[in-house]
Amino acid sequence: MCQKHENLKSNNKDLQEIEKKLDRRNFLTQTSLGLGAIALGSLLKAEKTFATSYTEAIGWPDNDSLLKSYNKNRLGLPHHVPKAKRVVYLFQSGGPSQLDMWDYKPKLKGMFGQDLPDSVRQGQRLTAMSAEQSNFPMAPSIFNFKQYGKSGAWASELLPHTAEMVDDLCIVKSMQTDQINHDPAITFMQTGNQLPGRPSIGSWLSYGFGSDNENLPTFITLITKNMGGQPLYSRLWGNGFLPTEHQGIQFRSGKDPVLYLSNPENYDGHDRKKMLHYLGQLNSLQYDTYGDPEINARMAQYEMAFRMQTSVPEVTDMSDEPDYIFDMYGEDSREPGTYAANCMMARKLLEKGVRFVQLYHQGWDQHIGCPGGLKRQNQLTDQANAALIRDLKQRGMLEDTLVIWGGEFGRTVYSQGELTQTNYGRDHHPKAFTMWMAGAGVKPGHIHGQTDDFGYNVIKDPVHVHDFHATLLHLCGVDHERLTFKHQGRRYRLTDVHGKVVKGILS
Amino acid sequence: MSRKPVFPLIVISFLGLMFSCNELELPDLVQQAYEELPREVDFNQEIKPILSDKCFICHGPDQAKVKAGLQLHLPELAFAELEGSPGKFAIKPGNLNKSQLVHRILSDDPEIMMPEPESHLKLSNHEKALLVKWINDGAEYKEHWAFTVPQTPPLPHVKLKEKVANPIDNFILAKLETESLQPNPKADKEILLRRLSFDLTGLPPSLKDIEVFVNDNSPDAYEKQVDRLLASPHFAEQMALDWMDLSRYADTHGYTVDRYRDVSPYRDWVIKAFNENIPYDQFIHWQLAGDLMNNPSKEQILATTFNRLHPQNQEGGIIDEEFRSEYVADRTNVVGEGFLGLTVACAKCHDHKYDPISQKNYYEMYSFFNNVNESGQISFDSSMPVPNMLLPTDEQEKFMTYVNGLVENKKKAAEHIAKSESKRAEQWVEIENYQKLKSKTWPSHLIAKVDFINGSLNNSLNPSEKGKMKRQHSPIQFPKIVEGYSGEGLELDGDSWLDLDHIGFFKRNQSFSIAIRLKVPEALENGVIFHKNIGTRLYSYRGYHLALKENKLEAMLAHVWPDNAIVEVSTTEIPKNEWMQLTMTYDGSSKAKGLKIYLDGEELKTNVQVDNLYKDIIYKMPSEPGLQIGARWRGKGIGGSVVDDILVFTKELTALEVVQISKAEKFQSIINKSANELTQAENKMLNEYYVSNFSKPYQLALNELAYTRRIQVDSLEGIPEIMVMKEMEEPRQTFILKQGQYNQYSERVYPNTPESILAFPDSLEKNRLGLAKWLTSKSNPLTARVAVNRYWKNIFGTGIVRTVEDFGNQGELPSHPKLLDWLAIQFIESGWNVKNLHKIIVMSNTYQQSSFTTEELLERDKMNRFLARGPSKRLSGEMLRNNVLAASGLLNKTIGGRSVKPYQPEGLWKINGATYKEDKGDKLYRRSMYTIWKRSVPHPTMATFDTPDRSFCSVRRQETNTPLQALVLMNDPTYIEASRVLGYNMLKFPDAKAAISDVFKRVTGRSIKKEELDLLIELQKHEYKKFRSMEYKTEGWLNTGEFRISDRDSKALVAANAVLASTIINSDAAITKR
Repeated sequence: MCQKHENLKSNNKDLQEIEKKLDRRNFLTQTSLGLGAIALGSLLKAEKTFATSYTEAIGWPDNDSLLKSYNKNRLGLPHHVPKAKRVVYLFQSGGPSQLDMWDYKPKLKGMFGQDLPDSVRQGQRLTAMSAEQSNFPMAPSIFNFKQYGKSGAWASELLPHTAEMVDDLCIVKSMQTDQINHDPAITFMQTGNQLPGRPSIGSWLSYGFGSDNENLPTFITLITKNMGGQPLYSRLWGNGFLPTEHQGIQFRSGKDPVLYLSNPENYDGHDRKKMLHYLGQLNSLQYDTYGDPEINARMAQYEMAFRMQTSVPEVTDMSDEPDYIFDMYGEDSREPGTYAANCMMARKLLEKGVRFVQLYHQGWDQHIGCPGGLKRQNQLTDQANAALIRDLKQRGMLEDTLVIWGGEFGRTVYSQGELTQTNYGRDHHPKAFTMWMAGAGVKPGHIHGQTDDFGYNVIKDPVHVHDFHATLLHLCGVDHERLTFKHQGRRYRLTDVHGKVVKGILS
Repeated sequence: MSRKPVFPLIVISFLGLMFSCNELELPDLVQQAYEELPREVDFNQEIKPILSDKCFICHGPDQAKVKAGLQLHLPELAFAELEGSPGKFAIKPGNLNKSQLVHRILSDDPEIMMPEPESHLKLSNHEKALLVKWINDGAEYKEHWAFTVPQTPPLPHVKLKEKVANPIDNFILAKLETESLQPNPKADKEILLRRLSFDLTGLPPSLKDIEVFVNDNSPDAYEKQVDRLLASPHFAEQMALDWMDLSRYADTHGYTVDRYRDVSPYRDWVIKAFNENIPYDQFIHWQLAGDLMNNPSKEQILATTFNRLHPQNQEGGIIDEEFRSEYVADRTNVVGEGFLGLTVACAKCHDHKYDPISQKNYYEMYSFFNNVNESGQISFDSSMPVPNMLLPTDEQEKFMTYVNGLVENKKKAAEHIAKSESKRAEQWVEIENYQKLKSKTWPSHLIAKVDFINGSLNNSLNPSEKGKMKRQHSPIQFPKIVEGYSGEGLELDGDSWLDLDHIGFFKRNQSFSIAIRLKVPEALENGVIFHKNIGTRLYSYRGYHLALKENKLEAMLAHVWPDNAIVEVSTTEIPKNEWMQLTMTYDGSSKAKGLKIYLDGEELKTNVQVDNLYKDIIYKMPSEPGLQIGARWRGKGIGGSVVDDILVFTKELTALEVVQISKAEKFQSIINKSANELTQAENKMLNEYYVSNFSKPYQLALNELAYTRRIQVDSLEGIPEIMVMKEMEEPRQTFILKQGQYNQYSERVYPNTPESILAFPDSLEKNRLGLAKWLTSKSNPLTARVAVNRYWKNIFGTGIVRTVEDFGNQGELPSHPKLLDWLAIQFIESGWNVKNLHKIIVMSNTYQQSSFTTEELLERDKMNRFLARGPSKRLSGEMLRNNVLAASGLLNKTIGGRSVKPYQPEGLWKINGATYKEDKGDKLYRRSMYTIWKRSVPHPTMATFDTPDRSFCSVRRQETNTPLQALVLMNDPTYIEASRVLGYNMLKFPDAKAAISDVFKRVTGRSIKKEELDLLIELQKHEYKKFRSMEYKTEGWLNTGEFRISDRDSKALVAANAVLASTIINSDAAITKR
């Protein structure tokens, strides 16, 4: 997306030329203000050429010497050869139970109902929801686990589809966070800080790289409709202190995928084009008086808005997807706004050059009725997750697309509330949980990290949220310590003052 | 790399220093930069920004992060011998060779070079040259400009005297002259009036305003407009809007479900304060410490809501203290950023990296705000968090005074009767009538008795009232019946409770008593015995309970814990492993004195922790919880205990009645005594017993008291509350929190302020009031500068200090330092007069200049820092909307009141489970500042234009330009509707030219130019033709929004006009304030 004119100031010679042109008063008069927008078009084209020059040409080389022969952008990005051109982050809001899906703990079977030993808990803080329980009876998963694929990764019966894909997944069983409640934990996971105010992952990437598509936002958010569950907040895809144009744009199912995208009813694109033509002329008269380049910069945004009015409905229209694709994602995918439909749309957006697609699926907060809740959640998501990976793979996109799946924390091994043979609840657990990644730059069919027999503590290769962020940025060609933004006198970064790239998962 | 001796240059410029540095070689590029340096290098202007930005991270004020023992922020530290390197110095003034710093910054050896490669910080050649020259010149340090008290500067002389309207112009022109720049001529009258109207009121001028001003040729025509606008209540609204960003004003709590709470009375007070132009120092005093003033008025207390506007968390599982400490920190940070223009928040986890603010300083400031009896987790039902203040209307106030008086009278009457009746009681005792009492019967008003006989959980007085075992989320639980005190009893597991359904519903005006027998295991120290709550903290303990707390007993009645409650704790511990009998009695008075705990018939001494219950203790939910025994949802129960003989009375039992139910044999022994054997205490008990049970007049008086109390309590329920500051009687102890972690206590600290700014004088109160006075003390170098700078920024678009929020070492230097000081001193001397300050600014010639610009000027001063032209800026999101509402005549100018819900796309609030229900009628057209502000989903009509989400103090908005903004202005129903109304109103004009000129002026504030008119006529014709032939295309233009046109025949014309109006609305002339 375009930016405030001032921010366009570039070190790139080509861009500087265009910037000068933009400043000139003859900009508007020489431009057809219908769809044409020559100057703007060329500006964006230049940015595009520039943005894609290294990515297209490098062909994912494995040495950094090649990188040096390409222009870095105004922020000096990429810092190294990126593996991931784009990212899709499937956020499972609420905290899915690692113990019932990925982190198989056979020894727990024999410990049904026993109190969680203090030696395991080690004084770790609990939420105010279960801290006062008089005991902490351990609840082994009631679901059957099996090993899958060449990698032999364990997965439970809840995941029949994703389990088939384990050889493409890099499963991290040793995730850790500092936060034990939803709001701070999800804010931490998405922005690197537990309190509101910091930019989200996608907005950092937007800030770092700009757009590969002149008609669509860089960073798009999709939320499964009608889920309820733990709340979401726009700050999770917000720009924090970064310029507003780096915020995630929520695409909604329904008539107006982007807020206010639709013209007044029956006033179509041709009508709007004509209106903008007049608006351009009116503004150029104003420019004659004031000579303010902001007038041109704003008109450029009207052009972009106009193009979005065409491109967004196009990209969100799934009607020309073939049946076999719908079948792959599952029946739900035919209904806009479902998780499956969003996964499919994510793929389409990525295809169109959107850099970061952030999905949210609520409902993973199984304090009670954990088995039943998980069944339902996985019915809504499992097939689509597997399909997305397959789909990206069959299009040759998986190798430069990073897919991330996970929530804000895991669940406790002990039952919150009563434990029975068929039912249990699980409280929030920050000290160990599972996420998986697939695609660009991560080892396929790999399992990283290990938890103890209780799935409570990480005993090997812990991955803290900051490390996860550092790694994510690394895969995108960014040194997390160098992508900074100065705000209130301080250089901020996604990883605050922490974070180590998790080398063990890099392919 | 080839190196040249720096010698020749030094010889030329600084002969005196030649011997000290003649052997140092500078790298080529540094040498080149060196040669381009000005003669004088200023520490504050050029050197410190480099040191701060590139060196302080390891060699600055943060003690804990100092590397190699070197700190460069103070000369005595920078010039000291290097730690572990005798005879070596980082900086040896005037001696480059002996200054390690110089070698380090010039080196490219990764082992030696500074900044270290890992820091990813780099010095440019220019910066290296500056540091070299500064050291060569003697490394003079100067105090940070912002920490020195402003001094009245002399007014600079300027050549263009005719361009001086007031002293502001002297400062601006003087700089323009040194830059060889010319100021612009005055702006066109129409343009100027629009600029002035938006800047002062946030609203456009009306056609009439424009006409009056344009036709007023008197010399003070402009000043008249200034005075008119400053006197307008809309000026106060615009000032309040600015304050809403600073004070992080929002209509919702911010975290998780992010629910609504009404704090609009505070916002309305702010409007009132600006309207009355109360001095800015007083404005700060009231907000920080109105509650601590002598006999504070309601308004003074209301002003302190300022400190409570931070986000608050309703999430069920959170750790209370974690968020409570966050709230205190937020209050501290607002003072830092909003008033001092400092990023003090950086010192929360460690000493400030750049500014002389230690972590200790931070927690000393924090301690001013740490004495609020509040909770980190607020009630899930959105009851107003505590402490709060009731906001009755005048009528309610009168009524309450009346009812309170009535209750007082009834209470006195009852006491009086009790006294007079005690004569009868004495007789009754004397004639030993008490001997007729039977020990086996229960006192009167017994409504429930659960004794577990035959394992029954039901009320044995009324078996249809059934008890049930329950547990969190597990509906089917079985009681464990064991041997009880007499017969069977119930053993508890700590997680399940006995729910007595609707037994035990008591309001705070009702007297009641609850008794229980129990046996508690040795190891159990905490757990609830009985209660009438939903959960524990989720609803802030609404209801009542008796609980074991660290082996003592805690009795509580709460509306919202911790402040709107009665909490008392026994002074002694309870016995374990043996049967005891506990009775809690309450007299309906809402006072701690009326809440008693008895152990085995003996009243326990208690410490009263809170005695401030002023709203009811029931839930206004469809399913009111009843009395529950032994555990609670998400709380700790009394696992391993056995309970028996639960009794519920609808009266306050007297001491003897408590003995009667707890120790029948003791009661028997008393009533068996002859009158002369009775002890004095027994006599008293019998006396009370008589009055309570046998005195008809006393019964009557009690009934009347109960009745009036009920009216009192019920009529209070509807009175709104607002969060305010209230100091705890005993201040909470404050500690430095390691890494800012809520539970990692370090050294204890006391209220104080950073010495580096201004030492806290002994004469001031060591509380918030003292802090407020310190802020506005004449010796405080920051508060006035920061305030005038913010107001300057509001008007000119950029502050004199561009970083409005940061006057510290990392902030930008002022463009006109002396002007800033002049304004600050003028502000203080005017009595902190905000209106006056605005008048001075807008009366300056600088402000009144035209904003037009040339390519050349843009090249010289793109950001308009020299102010050779007037300010121009995109209207804020609020102003843009106000503009079209005002232009179309839709604007509802009501001031204040609850926030409103104008048009908003459906479903936006769904992400956190809420529904946005649009208002109807004229509420749709209120000024933008009254649009409901939900922090987690801010209203897009404004948020798209950079309105901050108001989770934190914000003193400078971003200024962005995005396609989403274009979409709002083109398609948001607010804008479509306004376009239609404007288009409809055009029908009144006989010809298109007049109509278009009129609408153009309404929207842009200026007369249309011929070329513009020609263009728009063409547009209108084109659209009209289209709509005539394709009427269906008018649909959206005619039917978006509530307002409907009555003249259906003119559909095509109205639609065409609407497109025309919309085009003007989207044009620069409307969007930008010029």
